[in-house]
Amino acid sequence: MAYKPQYYPGNTSPAKNRRKHMSNDLEKMRDVSDEDLTAILGHRAPGSDYPSTHPPLSEMGEPDDPVREVVEPTPGAAAGDRVRYVQFADSMYNAPATPYFRSYHAAINFRGVDPGTLSGREVNEMRERDLEEFSKRVCETEITDWGLAGMRGCTVHGHSLRLQEDGTMFDMLDRRRLEGGSIVMDKDQVGVPIDRKVNLGKPISEAEAAKRTTMYRVDNVPFRSDKEVVEHVQRVWELRTRYGFQPKA
Amino acid sequence: MAKTASVTDKPIQIRVFPKRLLLPETAEKILNEIDHVKGVIRMLINGKNLPRKVTFGPGTGSDVNHPGRIIIHVGGCAFELHVVVGEILVEVEDESAVEELKKACERALPFSFEFKRGHFIKRRPTLTDYGKYGFKSKTDESINLEDERILGLVDPHAKVETNLCMVKAEDSNT
Repeated sequence: MAYKPQYYPGNTSPAKNRRKHMSNDLEKMRDVSDEDLTAILGHRAPGSDYPSTHPPLSEMGEPDDPVREVVEPTPGAAAGDRVRYVQFADSMYNAPATPYFRSYHAAINFRGVDPGTLSGREVNEMRERDLEEFSKRVCETEITDWGLAGMRGCTVHGHSLRLQEDGTMFDMLDRRRLEGGSIVMDKDQVGVPIDRKVNLGKPISEAEAAKRTTMYRVDNVPFRSDKEVVEHVQRVWELRTRYGFQPKA
Repeated sequence: MAKTASVTDKPIQIRVFPKRLLLPETAEKILNEIDHVKGVIRMLINGKNLPRKVTFGPGTGSDVNHPGRIIIHVGGCAFELHVVVGEILVEVEDESAVEELKKACERALPFSFEFKRGHFIKRRPTLTDYGKYGFKSKTDESINLEDERILGLVDPHAKVETNLCMVKAEDSNT
């Protein structure tokens, strides 16, 4: 019988959503065109060539190395793309993802990625064309709700604030906002204006967010209501404590 | 006994803490409602800063043009919002104004809010205030301010003119 990863324990909706995020079994919610995505990432002009940091690997004449033969380079690495980043902030008010589960999603399902997990934001670094493929997946699927999350390269402040009156997360640089019921973004992730308004679709309702979130909250699904998850977390803590214990002679 | 910053002996301070961060229109509405309550001495709005320009990262220097940073009118006085309003601290003269204040908030806010009584704005000058304003004279060691009600409303390092709005009531200066 083929091995089937279990990803995460638990029977509550956050546990199920955590499994979905980790396994990349995500529902597509909206379409974001390649050009729009490139514009909001802000690393290169839409339609321009990918700048490179080294020649394509095929032209470099790499030394003999068994590991290089076993591991196939990602398209970005093979082409010699620059390493670039994308960063997201997720509201604590039932945003679908959290930094940890964004990192799990990136590290489990994509190659050549360097996730950085922080309390209120999550950054992923990778080769530019790999980054665009990854970002497209993240931007279009249920892992990101643009009302409760934001692509923010800097000035990420907002994840722990109360939501704004219109139900969206505060953005100090006003990169994206609610206009006519849809979220539009007219600046790139670092707040530089772009030449277009990118429509990122309608934000999900409060009730829908409560269903789709990976967060345990006392006012939604409390963490302690999922005994299997509590047991799992306690086991992880016990094992890491034992592992970290170093008796001195 | 040091002089208090308030006009009465026992002013009451209230913190209004809405469930959501307020849009400028709602902020204008609630501030005007509070302004109409009889017995309000002073109020202070707090919230997250809305910068004019990007101050950090590769986009440094770009204009932000945040829609929340607009001019609002409160009690006939116009001023530009520098923050997204998240909290309003109000000082009232006595008990009778508290219930009116609560009703004013209920009228203006379309969602729930916390309404807490406590000590939120300073009532007496501190060392920093004396450092900034000094004594009145060599013989009078009270703080060199015409109106002590501005104490605690503005950060000692900030400019008073751009952060303070004096609204004149019909019967007295407030």
